[in-house]
Amino acid sequence: MSAPSFANYIVKRPLLKRWMTPIANWYTDAAGYRRLGLKFDDLIPEESEVVQKAIKRLPPKEAYDRVFRIRRAFQCSISHTLLPPNEQIKPSEDVEYLSPIIREIEKENKEREDLDNLVVRK
Amino acid sequence: MLSRSSLSRNAPRALSAGRRAMASAANPTFQYDVSEAAGVKVANREVNGATGTLALVAKAGSRYQPFPGFSDALEKFAFKSTLKRSALRITREVELLGGEISSTHSRENVVLRAKFLANDLPYFTELLAEVASQTKFSDHELNEVVTQLLKYQQQAVYSNPETVAIDAAHGVAFHRGLGSPITPSQTTPYEKYLSGDALAQFAQDAYAKSNVALVATGPNSADVSKWVGQFFKDLPTGSSSSQYKVQPSVASKYFGGEQRIPSKTGNAVVIAFPGSSAFGTAGYKAEASVLAALLGGESSIKWTPGFSLLSKATQGFSFLNVSTKNHSYSDAGLFTVTLTGAADQIASASKNVVDALKKAAAGEVASEDIKKAAALAKFRALESVQTLETGLEATGSGLVHGGKAYQIGEIAQAIEAVSEEQVKEVAKSFLSGKATLVSVGDVHQLPYAEDLGLSA
Repeated sequence: MSAPSFANYIVKRPLLKRWMTPIANWYTDAAGYRRLGLKFDDLIPEESEVVQKAIKRLPPKEAYDRVFRIRRAFQCSISHTLLPPNEQIKPSEDVEYLSPIIREIEKENKEREDLDNLVVRK
Repeated sequence: MLSRSSLSRNAPRALSAGRRAMASAANPTFQYDVSEAAGVKVANREVNGATGTLALVAKAGSRYQPFPGFSDALEKFAFKSTLKRSALRITREVELLGGEISSTHSRENVVLRAKFLANDLPYFTELLAEVASQTKFSDHELNEVVTQLLKYQQQAVYSNPETVAIDAAHGVAFHRGLGSPITPSQTTPYEKYLSGDALAQFAQDAYAKSNVALVATGPNSADVSKWVGQFFKDLPTGSSSSQYKVQPSVASKYFGGEQRIPSKTGNAVVIAFPGSSAFGTAGYKAEASVLAALLGGESSIKWTPGFSLLSKATQGFSFLNVSTKNHSYSDAGLFTVTLTGAADQIASASKNVVDALKKAAAGEVASEDIKKAAALAKFRALESVQTLETGLEATGSGLVHGGKAYQIGEIAQAIEAVSEEQVKEVAKSFLSGKATLVSVGDVHQLPYAEDLGLSA
């Protein structure tokens, strides 16, 4: 969320995107969180009001699964093990489930700020 | 000061006021012009002034809701985020334009209202169309805003013994349909039915073209049809086949009976009978509204109990409030006498109420009083149509239910035509038929129907 990202720059350029995608995929896999059974959105720091609100807005099933994955990863971490390969998160399962809600809340906040600083010219 | 002689000279003139025709019957500004634009019924009334009002009346009140709480939730979802704008933006825009938006629901209708400076008519027409056709019904708004509001509404409604008693009286009298509570009680398991998806499906049907009417008043209300034609094109055509659609209207049937609800919030007794339905429907009985004014209970003039039978009959009770009302709906009505106050006084005063009704049935009422009651009934009927809050809904309700708007002149004529004999007859029919009695509060002291000599 906070580190500077070239992602947008790269995605906009098809050639660059074609080169970078395999590297990015390799990198994400090498990061290892999928082997602990986590999705990328589980790694978003939740110590902020926006993310807290987003977590509250998750559908009940999603919220349950999220807690389950985090607890499972915690256990793995304590016991210094990885999950068996069939339980690890596959790249196809590693989809955004929280980020869209976060973006929506950020949009709401921005809109509120904009409207609060509105100047009416007549 | 008025001299005695001048009073006696004027009084007969006041009483015979019925001979003068209503000025408004000839005056076109009090009439609603009914037209249709983009398949939506529109009633508009030209009123000179700087402001205008627009109301969308949808036939989706608690009578037609598929599950408890749906009408409440639909009402509270009005002016929330739509596909085009967020709820916050709608609020801020309306604030900038200096308008006022609100939504309410009754047993039969959900009403969205907007009041605004006359020039802003297009904006508010578009807003109402957007709310009706493009509200998002997102789950997080339901959880974060709507259910919270609904809880406050429940607290407000159920902390007032009078509204509890009236609501229960409807339940006892009509069972389902009109009898379903206007707001679900705190103990009703309604949450399991509510979800964003379900409400979206309900709204599809509730705000369908055939299910809504628009009522406008203002200086440029002639433009209304034009703007409605432009903005209301995209309104859903309705009748999805889901379980959440607006329930078909089943003809109301009066049952009657007795219910006692212990409560610590106060005491109320409602004695109810099958009353008159709304004006312009088959079950309309002008004499019921005259009888309601005759029984009365609340004076329309300060420092006097007034002429009404009940205010005279309950004069000795200082901790008691009595009122009589005919709740009229599209195909039925409920005539209620409501007593609130101290339990012991309600217990003894409710006997007086039945005695007063017996007096009216026996024809032991001065014909002067009946004339006064007719005048008051006429005033109330006309005033309620003319007042924006009630008039807009009444007009729109007439349109969606029967395809006919309220016309003021005709109501006045109907009430003027009521004879003493008719009033007597309706009182008699109340006493002979099955009554509805609801006691809320200290039921240890409150009466049973049998104590009052009513058959419930």
